[in-house]
Amino acid sequence: MSSENWVDVASVDAVPEGDTIGVSLNGQGIALYKVDGEVFATAGLCTHGAAHMCDGFLEGHEIECPLHQGRFDIRTGKALNEPLTEDIRTFAVRLDAGRVMVLAD
Amino acid sequence: MENTSEVFPSDPTWSEEGSSRVPFWAYTREDLYKRELERLFYKGHWCYVGLEVEVPEPGDFKRTVVGERSVIMTRSTDGEIHVVENVCKHRGMRFCREKHGKAKELLCPYHQWSYALNGDLQGVPFRRGVKREGKVNGGMPADFNPADHGLTKLKVARRNGVVFASFDHDVEPFEEFLGPTILSYFDRVFDGRKLVLLGYRRQRIPGNWKLMQENIKDPYHPGLLHTWFSTFGLWRADNQSELKMDAHKRHAAMISTRGQGGKVEEVVTGLDSFKETMTVNDKRLLDIVHEDWWGKPTAVMTTIFPSVIIQQQVNSVSTRHIQPNGHGSFDFVWTHFGFADDTPEMHQRRLIQANLFGPAGFVSADDGEVIEWSQEGFEQNPSQKTLVEMGGRDTEDSPHMVTETLIRGMYAYWRRVMGE
Ligand code: FES
Ligand code: FES
Ligand SMILES: [Fe+2]
Repeated sequence: MSSENWVDVASVDAVPEGDTIGVSLNGQGIALYKVDGEVFATAGLCTHGAAHMCDGFLEGHEIECPLHQGRFDIRTGKALNEPLTEDIRTFAVRLDAGRVMVLAD
Repeated sequence: MENTSEVFPSDPTWSEEGSSRVPFWAYTREDLYKRELERLFYKGHWCYVGLEVEVPEPGDFKRTVVGERSVIMTRSTDGEIHVVENVCKHRGMRFCREKHGKAKELLCPYHQWSYALNGDLQGVPFRRGVKREGKVNGGMPADFNPADHGLTKLKVARRNGVVFASFDHDVEPFEEFLGPTILSYFDRVFDGRKLVLLGYRRQRIPGNWKLMQENIKDPYHPGLLHTWFSTFGLWRADNQSELKMDAHKRHAAMISTRGQGGKVEEVVTGLDSFKETMTVNDKRLLDIVHEDWWGKPTAVMTTIFPSVIIQQQVNSVSTRHIQPNGHGSFDFVWTHFGFADDTPEMHQRRLIQANLFGPAGFVSADDGEVIEWSQEGFEQNPSQKTLVEMGGRDTEDSPHMVTETLIRGMYAYWRRVMGE
């Protein structure tokens, strides 16, 4: 347990409901999402091209990439349509005293 | 009389009946050339695109042309072959620049519109705008529907490993387009055996594209122009031969059989007996081995109007793609191939015999030059006419080679379609 590396990346309030922001996880960009108060985290970059997921559009639990409208399920990272061929990485999240904690490697 | 007529007639008409006197202006007029693109390459005809073996795996693509229009042949993940126009639906860019490649999608670099391998539009950057401080700026109008903006898709015909395409989705089925006679010569080469790609040759010939069709519908010239052929016995005017056309007389097959089966005799008598002492230094060039699928003929040259020639000259087989770029120039692209069941010796033999053909081939180099020189003659005085009357003025099939009937047939068809 003690070897788990939970990192404080943002305050819970900084993540807008029904939307996404980009934050840094040990210097690496990731995207946070909030749906009905629950927070999710994925890698920051689209698996298709050079797009930031935090510039995308969140609909329910699906994030749509701003460049080519590829969509991922933010809960599983699953790629849902073309042109995506690769799932996106997800991170475990827990909320702790108003802070968003993300499980790093 | 012709000396006194205008050299550059302003509104010329084809005055004679028939098709045995072709006006030089049929090769020099830019307006006619544009009409040829419209009526022969973009409507009512199937044009050659390539061989399936050029795109063996999903994601493989090949860039080529139909007439002057750049197109991409792709193989999608379901194994289907698609041919789409290489023009981005956003601002018109001819985006694909590689001749061949492998890709998951077709991407225009200008604004990164991304298309699926079948041409469907997949993604438009910032289609929903760009978020900034809680506001979304820009984006496509709400009624923008990607389904309406896929790449232009061509109709595709595949037959025994060969791919043809047409911008005209109402074009008749490929088999009917060829007609039964020409189809049988097509199937003689492409009988469903797996093909092997041997390589390409490309050349730009400064002449009107029709001259290449004529050249391969002209059995009068090989024994005379191509001294290599006649010197080493690969072509003789008295070879047993036949000339056949489709019902429209646009496609043709020149079928010939060398006198004696088996090995070529290196010395022929007759036409060029003065070369009796000449021998080929590299004997492998004449190491011809009869193949069962030939049947009786040893060479069949099939012209499929307007875009391609299928060559079987003894053991050398290729397609020759005519890619026009202006009234006075075309690219000629040779795709040499063999068959998956060729022995290593046959593979080698096909490669060696390929030296007879192509831009610098012992035989074909001559054709590129005479086409250029013909065009030069046409350009200097377009008011004159060619004389295509060897063997008569008719356009019938022929049981011998001493005739220009196939050329007359092609121009009879050309006049009908072009309205000249
Ligand atoms: S960069 Fe995300 S879909 Fe293309
Ligand atoms: S021209 Fe192709 S994306 Fe803009
Ligand atoms: Fe020739």
